[in-house]
Amino acid sequence: MGAKAGATPRPHSRGEPDARERPTDTDADTDTDTDTDADTHTDADADTRLGDAMSAGITVDALTKRYGPVAAVDGLSFTVEPGLVTGFLGPNGAGKTTTLRMLLGLVTPTSGTALIDGRPYAGLRRPRRVVGAVLEATGFHPGRRGRDHLRVLAQAGGIAPSRVDEVLEQVGLGDAGGRRVGGYSLGMRQRLGLASALLGDPQVLVLDEPANGLDPAGMADLRDLLRGLAAEGRTVLMSSHVLSEVAQTVDRVVIVAGGTLRHAGPLAELTAAQGETLEAAFLRLTATPDTDPSGAVTAPVRG
Amino acid sequence: MHDLIRTEGLKLHTLRSPWLVLGAAPVLVTAGISGLVLSRTGPLDTAAQSGALAHVGLSSLFTLVFGILVVAGEYRHRTVTDTFLSVPARRRVIGAKLALSAVLAAACGVVSSAVGLAVAAAWWADKGVRFDWSDATMWATIGGGVAWNAAFAAIGVGVGALIRSLVGAVAVSLAWVALVEGIVGQLVGNLARWLPFNAGQALGAGASAMTRTDLLPRWGGGVVLAAYTVLFAVLAVTTTARRDVS
Repeated sequence: MGAKAGATPRPHSRGEPDARERPTDTDADTDTDTDTDADTHTDADADTRLGDAMSAGITVDALTKRYGPVAAVDGLSFTVEPGLVTGFLGPNGAGKTTTLRMLLGLVTPTSGTALIDGRPYAGLRRPRRVVGAVLEATGFHPGRRGRDHLRVLAQAGGIAPSRVDEVLEQVGLGDAGGRRVGGYSLGMRQRLGLASALLGDPQVLVLDEPANGLDPAGMADLRDLLRGLAAEGRTVLMSSHVLSEVAQTVDRVVIVAGGTLRHAGPLAELTAAQGETLEAAFLRLTATPDTDPSGAVTAPVRG
Repeated sequence: MHDLIRTEGLKLHTLRSPWLVLGAAPVLVTAGISGLVLSRTGPLDTAAQSGALAHVGLSSLFTLVFGILVVAGEYRHRTVTDTFLSVPARRRVIGAKLALSAVLAAACGVVSSAVGLAVAAAWWADKGVRFDWSDATMWATIGGGVAWNAAFAAIGVGVGALIRSLVGAVAVSLAWVALVEGIVGQLVGNLARWLPFNAGQALGAGASAMTRTDLLPRWGGGVVLAAYTVLFAVLAVTTTARRDVS
């Protein structure tokens, strides 16, 4: 882990999508696999995609998900920008996981949009090479070996098989790849999930509680890894309950409660404004619905 | 689609449980044929031959469970999230599962048939009776049995996609075959032959039926079973495309 942490930060321009990734293809069901470079993941290919990276942000706009009369997510809007680690915070039941699932095309929004690179997830031609995700609900077959799990994902995602051993080394599972996942510890499963997300060398990473089950060394590895990925110009969105960890890792925070946005902006700005710790600010912002006197709900969404 | 089927193949290749289920089929056929020979009071004639090879069709119970595993196993172990992250076009994923399950189940049926023929021929030789390799009814029984295997694998994919709980899907399916078609079948009388398992029995029947006598003709069983297969395949594809994955 952390092998890429020392990479030079890449400059990035915003709002200028590379022509190849312009959001024109939005019909997922007629995917015709015209991506001719799909099966040969060469260095030149990777360079081309790093160009795309410069526009790879997340845009959530008026996103709403209702289950009967209950709105799990209610008119949520925010953006996540490349080159930064953004923390996605909120109490249990705030709608974080539902939001991430809508962003990844697993749950259909009642209304609103969640776009990656200006496209819905289902409109991405080779999604694993654009977005890497670790979700809490992601699982592994206990009878499958760790390496085989990644081989399946590589085959499914049009990713070179050579990436499998690379990411196993990157997350520190080089020696455990040949073992069945049923024998893995929770921390090892988290690492395997992270390896799954990194497999396609994606420009956008979406991580739901990636720190769960990690020991202190694992936490430090994760922090270095995410900082390094952001420094390379990638977009990193992570949800977490561990605010002390978040405070050390993220540049920006998006705080939600009751399915609505409570605050979005740079972490430093949030904690400096009233001289609070992140925890104090978090508890204040998420305490009561829509009565925050500081008007954080209407604060500028772009940091 | 080719890539999707290869991915599904790799998923199965890297596991053991689905192969144990399919591997049980020739074992059941061997046991069934041996039991039939040992308990038979009548002569080992051609009717006995096709009756012995009718066990090939019965092993569709295993291909049904196999089809359920292919989908519901992914829900059980939550690998389905990664599957749909890799390929958001869920209809195509289910299509690949349907195609591969049916083909593997048919292959399993062919293996069961070969094993069944070898076992039967050995028993016939042991009893000093000539085994008639040219009996047309026996070959029709085998062909019908293989098709029944394939159809039930696809129906299993459908049941797995509809119910999603692995334990629930297996329990419902086996209860359906063992209880509903048997007990309710007696209540509804002649209508029972239109139910899926009985249609399969008609398709893979020997010269005389194994459990009931009022089955459809072989071709009729085939048509009815094909209709059920299409119905479950369509339900699998449409419900999977529509539902949230959580």
